[in-house]
Amino acid sequence: MVLIKKILKFTKLVKSGDWVIIILFSFLMLISAKILWDLPQGQYLEIYKNNEILGTYSLNHKITKTIKGIKGETEININNGKARFSKAPCTKKYCIHQGWINKANQTIVCIPNQVSIYIVGAKKKYDSINY
Amino acid sequence: MLLNKIFPYLLVFFLLSCSDNKIHQEEDFIFGTIISIKVYGEPKIKSEKVSNEIFNEFHRLHKLLHPWKKSLITDINNKILNNESISLNNDEIISILKEAQYLEKKTQGLFNPAIGKLIELWGFHKDDYNLDTMPNQVKIKNLLLSKPSMQSLTIKNKILKSNNRDVQIDLGGFAKGYALDQAKKILLDNNIKNALINIGGNIIAFGKHGDRDWIVGIQNPRKPNTIATINLKSGWSIGTSGDYQRYIIINNQRYSHLINPKIGYPENKTQSATILIPPSKNSGTLSDVLSKPLFIAKEKDKIKLANSLNIDNFLIIMENGSILISESMNKDINWEDGIDKKNIKIY
Repeated sequence: MVLIKKILKFTKLVKSGDWVIIILFSFLMLISAKILWDLPQGQYLEIYKNNEILGTYSLNHKITKTIKGIKGETEININNGKARFSKAPCTKKYCIHQGWINKANQTIVCIPNQVSIYIVGAKKKYDSINY
Repeated sequence: MLLNKIFPYLLVFFLLSCSDNKIHQEEDFIFGTIISIKVYGEPKIKSEKVSNEIFNEFHRLHKLLHPWKKSLITDINNKILNNESISLNNDEIISILKEAQYLEKKTQGLFNPAIGKLIELWGFHKDDYNLDTMPNQVKIKNLLLSKPSMQSLTIKNKILKSNNRDVQIDLGGFAKGYALDQAKKILLDNNIKNALINIGGNIIAFGKHGDRDWIVGIQNPRKPNTIATINLKSGWSIGTSGDYQRYIIINNQRYSHLINPKIGYPENKTQSATILIPPSKNSGTLSDVLSKPLFIAKEKDKIKLANSLNIDNFLIIMENGSILISESMNKDINWEDGIDKKNIKIY
């Protein structure tokens, strides 16, 4: 009951202009969620150090790569279609907290150690096939 | 109140921005194969409508031209068997038969749609062809001696007559290409500028895919991947005759559906013959028909034949894996990695 009263009070406070904004942003949220959800699965992982590509690895296996950055060692896991930072010398560990990524064009950057990973989708080279 | 008014517009705007409206693909299964239609840069509703119109046209052609299930062609074939003349109240079939006659002549009989009996002997007049013993040699020999040919047919005042009862028309090497040309008309009528139509590997391109040409992959005859890709410019068609889609295996030997009308046996020295045909009224038909003679001809005759048929773009893969390619096609082709360039001969 208290909750309903609070909601009613809230709706009275909200003017029509506010509703426009609320609805607009709800839509934006839904659309971004849909777009992110629909991203194709990645095929390869590119690892960069200081904006230079160190290598491209298939996502379809289970390996750990250790990269020497400017601050120390960063460890990257690839595990059957997804990838993550598992160890990093930085203090905040934002890169590790990002967790696993698996969609094409997803990326994680570790600014302190200047190491980043980027997921690439399979390049479809043709529109149709002749046989 | 204002919100109530603008809300529907907002909704429509967002729903539109949600969908990827650049390319629409429709698929159907006709002519015993997969048909795929891609339309670029048109509203979904329009591309669906046009695709359905094309599918309906293909279903109509399938029923008209089917070589062994009841169709106008099987009706004609039955009359030929009984030595009867046939009255044709169908201008379309008359022009199709005349074009087939012309193409048979032009290809020196290597494209021969009158050998339905041979194709049936080899067991390919079935949806699930699975002949496992060699066909009767005497029957093959007798058919070769009687020389069934489209030239045995005469059409006068819409009356068709055959002076050879061994003629059985099979337009299997013609129908899909003809269907591409019919699809072209439907696209033009509907003012569709950019589309790609694939009928079981036979492809015709219209316009572009955005700011680039449509790109077509060419199947590797012996591996589950492509051997190369090529840009298919607007109006161009590509067709391949190969031994890897329809074939039977008897005593560990592969026999493809591409039967040499001169010897009554499938050609077995070639894996595939691919040709590109420039824009013309019947480019679809030509891309289907003209790959057959190039596949069937002997290796030493293939290049001469391509020249005499004005095929400037061809790619032929022989049984031993060697590749014969025309100079013009070699300029535009993008080979996949791992193709041994030593095996490629440019003509």
